[in-house]
Amino acid sequence: MSNPSPTYQTAKGFCLTSAFWMIVGTLMGLIGATELVAPDLTKNIGWLVFGRVRPIHINIVLFGFVTPGLLAAAFYYFPRLLKTELYSERLGVVTVVAWNIALVAVVLTLMLGYTQGREYAELIWPIDVAVIVVFLMVFFNFIMTVKQRTEPVLYVSVWYALAAVILTACTYALGNIVWRPSSGALVGIPDAIILWFYGHNVFGLLLTPLSAGVTYYVIPRSVRAPLYSHTLSLLGFWSLIVVYTHIGTHHLLQVPVPTWLKVIAIVDSVAMVIPVMAFLINIWYTAKGRLGEIHADIGAKFVFTGTIMYFFVSIQGSMMSLPDVQRVTHFNNWVVAHAHIGVLGFAGMIALGGLYYILPKVTGRPLYSRLLADIQYWLVLIVSIGFTVVLTIAGLIQGNGWLNGETVYRILPQIHPYYVTRASLGLILVIGAALGFYNIVRTLFVRSGEAVT
Amino acid sequence: MKMTPKAVVIGSLLVLAAVVFVAVILPYADTNQTVPSEIFRSRVSEEAAGRLIYIQNGCVYCHSQSIRKVDWGLGADRIAQAGDYVEDHPILLGSARTGPDLSQAGGEHPDDWHIAHFINPRYTRPVSIMPAFEFLGMDRVATLTSYVQSLGLKAADRRMERQRFWKQEAIKAYEAGPEANVRWLNENVPQGWRDVPNPYPTTEAGLARGHVIYQNFCLGCHGPVGDGMGPAQPWIYPPPLNFTILKGREVSGGVLYYQIMNGITGTAMPYFKRELESQKIWEVGDYVAVYFINQSDANSEPRGIDAAWEP
Ligand code: HEC
Ligand code: HEC
Ligand code: HEM
Repeated sequence: MSNPSPTYQTAKGFCLTSAFWMIVGTLMGLIGATELVAPDLTKNIGWLVFGRVRPIHINIVLFGFVTPGLLAAAFYYFPRLLKTELYSERLGVVTVVAWNIALVAVVLTLMLGYTQGREYAELIWPIDVAVIVVFLMVFFNFIMTVKQRTEPVLYVSVWYALAAVILTACTYALGNIVWRPSSGALVGIPDAIILWFYGHNVFGLLLTPLSAGVTYYVIPRSVRAPLYSHTLSLLGFWSLIVVYTHIGTHHLLQVPVPTWLKVIAIVDSVAMVIPVMAFLINIWYTAKGRLGEIHADIGAKFVFTGTIMYFFVSIQGSMMSLPDVQRVTHFNNWVVAHAHIGVLGFAGMIALGGLYYILPKVTGRPLYSRLLADIQYWLVLIVSIGFTVVLTIAGLIQGNGWLNGETVYRILPQIHPYYVTRASLGLILVIGAALGFYNIVRTLFVRSGEAVT
Repeated sequence: MKMTPKAVVIGSLLVLAAVVFVAVILPYADTNQTVPSEIFRSRVSEEAAGRLIYIQNGCVYCHSQSIRKVDWGLGADRIAQAGDYVEDHPILLGSARTGPDLSQAGGEHPDDWHIAHFINPRYTRPVSIMPAFEFLGMDRVATLTSYVQSLGLKAADRRMERQRFWKQEAIKAYEAGPEANVRWLNENVPQGWRDVPNPYPTTEAGLARGHVIYQNFCLGCHGPVGDGMGPAQPWIYPPPLNFTILKGREVSGGVLYYQIMNGITGTAMPYFKRELESQKIWEVGDYVAVYFINQSDANSEPRGIDAAWEP
């Protein structure tokens, strides 16, 4: 508490990380989408083959774009909410640097084909260890900041961020089977169960609570109103931790895993409406009648839109856990649509909202360009909805065709037009990411004396 | 409830521990003693090496290895059992079917089909969107092929035995010259089919539809002019049939139908009964007959009662 004016270097570092890797992650998605339209365009470029580009896309958007974006906001709101300084900016900056080195390693190893071949757990052991270490570094910084707080009450955002970071360190270690460095896997059906326990918790225990934390901070602040209900906060938090953690088997409903485990997964996937609605009602009632203020703040606008996407993705998710629905939706582009509403529409929107909300506050200057941020908002929104529409249609064509006995090959020409649209939307998103990066860099590195528009 | 740092951190860790017990450890105890299923066998080292190439190149993002009760496609006759996976490490169930399920792919085609397909999938499957794997080099393509041919384990071995037996027969016939080859091909079609002409008359619309089917399914092997010189030809032996040699050799519409429906085990000629319904098979057959063989028996005797449908 020696330094009276905080520097927020860690928060700034994570802003830049997120904005930069958003370009890389979406570009990888665009390359993959293009390959599904024109597979021979990248013919015989081994390191760009679809099966390598896809895991890079996924790992980079999750751990390069969304998570750092949400952490940037957390590194800003921790000191604010706890009325103290961040325990150590130096540790924070080291974390940012280590995080970026790990991301570069992710891209290089996956391109070269070093992978453990398990979805969301591809990274090889040394990178797994690095990921766990950076999560622990973040947790240490957070918990020490909590320790030195001068504000006795812990606000909801702090609960969510603390839980997200420590629980993810645990589930990441479990899911990646870190005690078996060579393969990072168990054998047979148990491997699938633990993989999806973890894979599901990437969304349930990392993206969702971090996004909830940012939302709980940004929405009440920007509408200048107290939170609607403490009880709902409590209900939402604990039911999320209890319910979200044990429904990963809804990814395995059509696989020979024990029936009792499927029953638990199905029943409690439906029970997910409790944490989801507790959170959403709390936020939406806080904002009720004050949407003008949300509209006026570009950060809050992103975040609020993210909450609407959260509603849709979660209700859809509960539906998709019903075996009758999943007969049609499993294995096809329907799931890809769901994944994009979740990770881009919900968590990604909120990550961007967090960035735009804190940037003026951590730099002490207005955004370089509100217009560019607004354009990015519309591009991300159009692409999220566009992906949802075209991929859901493609998924229904595939799923219903298969149920009728059509082969995969026969359906390929039918979904081709949707793949083309999807790739075009991907291009728009990459442009949006580039605009955002430019805007954020100009905001962070404006030279003193330069005119700010 | 007062949310102290301890309550948040220790509390949520305790919840997680309880969940791990219920959703990971109990299921582990329940499933890790699974007995091997009746089709199970261990992989030999070449197959295991191929599996690594499969992992490194992300085949798992497009191919599942998990057949469900509701499936009809490749491998649907064997619904997945826990005992099929007892040595899979990691398990490669997959979460998307951009391409078909591969749990029973072994023995579905002979090796030469796979080699041509890996070099460029569009050679054997003209509208495929699977990436080309020529960059792996021939050795690794061969290793990968031996893994794919093991999918289905003992069931795959049975199918591979059939492929190998008929491969020898097909090569023998091919090397004895066109006359002998066509005779061998015809002899193996049941007599009933040989006697059947194409029951539908040749029409312009039918030929146009046959043309589209030919382009989407056959062109890579039999070539744009039906001479067997499609892009897959250099990798396939016996090579794709040159249709022009069928002229004057008593190849009826029924023979064409049967061969297209059923495929020719041992050769790269796949079966199309899953992909093409009856009308489509007759029409692509007639397209081949009219344009490449230059001789069609469409709508000739014996006819029986007039066809219900006439142009
Ligand atoms: C972009 C997604 C994609 C990737 C990646 C991919 N495939 Fe495919 N695969 C397909 C599609 C689509 C088909 C169906 C069309 C065809 O046969 O080419 C297919 C078909 C196949 C078939 C033929 C199945 C049959 O008998 O009809 C095999 C075998 C196969 N793939 C193996 C592989 C292997 C091995 C890899 C990795 C080295 C791989 N695939 C990677 C999409 C993919
Ligand atoms: C992967 C390559 C491949 C594809 C694709 C393919 N064929 Fe063939 N076809 C062959 C080969 C190889 C033979 C047998 C050559 C031999 O034994 O001499 C054959 C034989 C045939 C025969 C046997 C003729 C007879 O007299 O018995 C017919 C008819 C035929 N193909 C039609 C088709 C049609 C129609 C399609 C598309 C729907 C098709 N083929 C697709 C490779 C292919
Ligand atoms: C109530 C909440 C939710 C439920 C019940 C739910 C349910 C499901 C189900 C059943 C699947 C598997 C579909 C299948 O394979 O057939 C799935 C996949 C997925 N979900 Fe959700 N979902 C929820 C919320 C979310 C959220 C908030 C996100 C993102 C932050 C998300 C991201 C994903 C992703 C990325 C996949 C794809 C996994 C894969 O690669 O197969 N979901 N979800």
